[in-house]
Amino acid sequence: MSATGRRLEGSETQLLMKIRECLERLNEKMEVLIEVQKHSKREGAADLPDVLDVMTLLSLPDHLRKTAVTLCKLGEATADKVAEQTKRARAVESGYLNQLVLMGYLKKERRGRKAYFCVEKNEEAEK
Amino acid sequence: MGKIIAVHSYKGGTGKTLLSINLAALYANRGKSVCLLDLDFRAPSLQAIFKVSDSEYWMNDYLNGVCDIKKVLRDFSTTHVKRGRFFVGFANPSTEAIREMSAKDRKWEMKALGRLLSLKTSLLNDSGIDYLIFDTSPGLQYSSINAIVSADVVLVVSGMDVSDIRGTQRMIDELYGLFEKKTGLIMNKVFGEILLSKNEKQELSKKLMNNFNFPLINMIPCYCDILRTGGGTLFATENPEHPFVKILDGVATTLENL
Repeated sequence: MSATGRRLEGSETQLLMKIRECLERLNEKMEVLIEVQKHSKREGAADLPDVLDVMTLLSLPDHLRKTAVTLCKLGEATADKVAEQTKRARAVESGYLNQLVLMGYLKKERRGRKAYFCVEKNEEAEK
Repeated sequence: MGKIIAVHSYKGGTGKTLLSINLAALYANRGKSVCLLDLDFRAPSLQAIFKVSDSEYWMNDYLNGVCDIKKVLRDFSTTHVKRGRFFVGFANPSTEAIREMSAKDRKWEMKALGRLLSLKTSLLNDSGIDYLIFDTSPGLQYSSINAIVSADVVLVVSGMDVSDIRGTQRMIDELYGLFEKKTGLIMNKVFGEILLSKNEKQELSKKLMNNFNFPLINMIPCYCDILRTGGGTLFATENPEHPFVKILDGVATTLENL
């Protein structure tokens, strides 16, 4: 009986984890949609520079600059890792990182459950 | 964990290189492992002071991704300091290299920033370097801002003329502040007679700190005897009792605790 109970408990936990994962993905997609809407309203958005060099870093608003500099230091990181460094909430960093992805400064790659952000490195791969 | 110090200024000719070299020597003479890098690719100068005419690899090659940083570093521990370790990385002084570096695009500069940032791991964490000192180009340009972003502390050097003071003030507010860098300022080549009177010195310090919001560490008078010395040895190593070295020793301690 107790074994059955444990099995049930285990499957419930798994289900909850799956729901949480789906919700997190949904949340990220919604953040992206919100940002896309914001940018589509802005004229000249296509002219935004897409290189995260120091001049771009200087031109970013303070909150995004902090996230961008931290990611430059880490090279590649999840929102959790960035939040650890900036001492801001993970959800906040996730929003800022996605915003930087939309602006064309960062690349996002999903591996399993985790999303990794990195500074664009296509040319490195070409070498 | 070691510390990266970028020595920067608004205008050229403020004494960045002289201060960088002697600051590095002072840390080494305290028994520390020090690495001094020339990041002034438009006007490389460390190679002339250390009398290096040729090098297999330069800092340019490291930033180009051609070689590891260890291939660039030259060891001057036995010749230029009494204790500790003293390594120097030189920038290529050839006209062709200077021209090539000034024509780099933004993507290259972005990658160069990544390579400078990675020195924290390769030199400070893995190779046990205690102090990494960047001698930078003056003003707001890619190589110097890359160095500032990669550093833990910025040591700004300013002269006494109004244009330098105003420019330095702008950089403190609009550059170092934006990147949340700890900053210390040295007023260099201050007229000797000002320093003769303690009251005048205090008054000037107060004025600079209050009116311009300067994070002033100290003021250094113009010592002509330093400029007369040759490049074979380092002034701080050979003249530990000189007032210039004493002032710089205090600056080194302040930066250590910043």
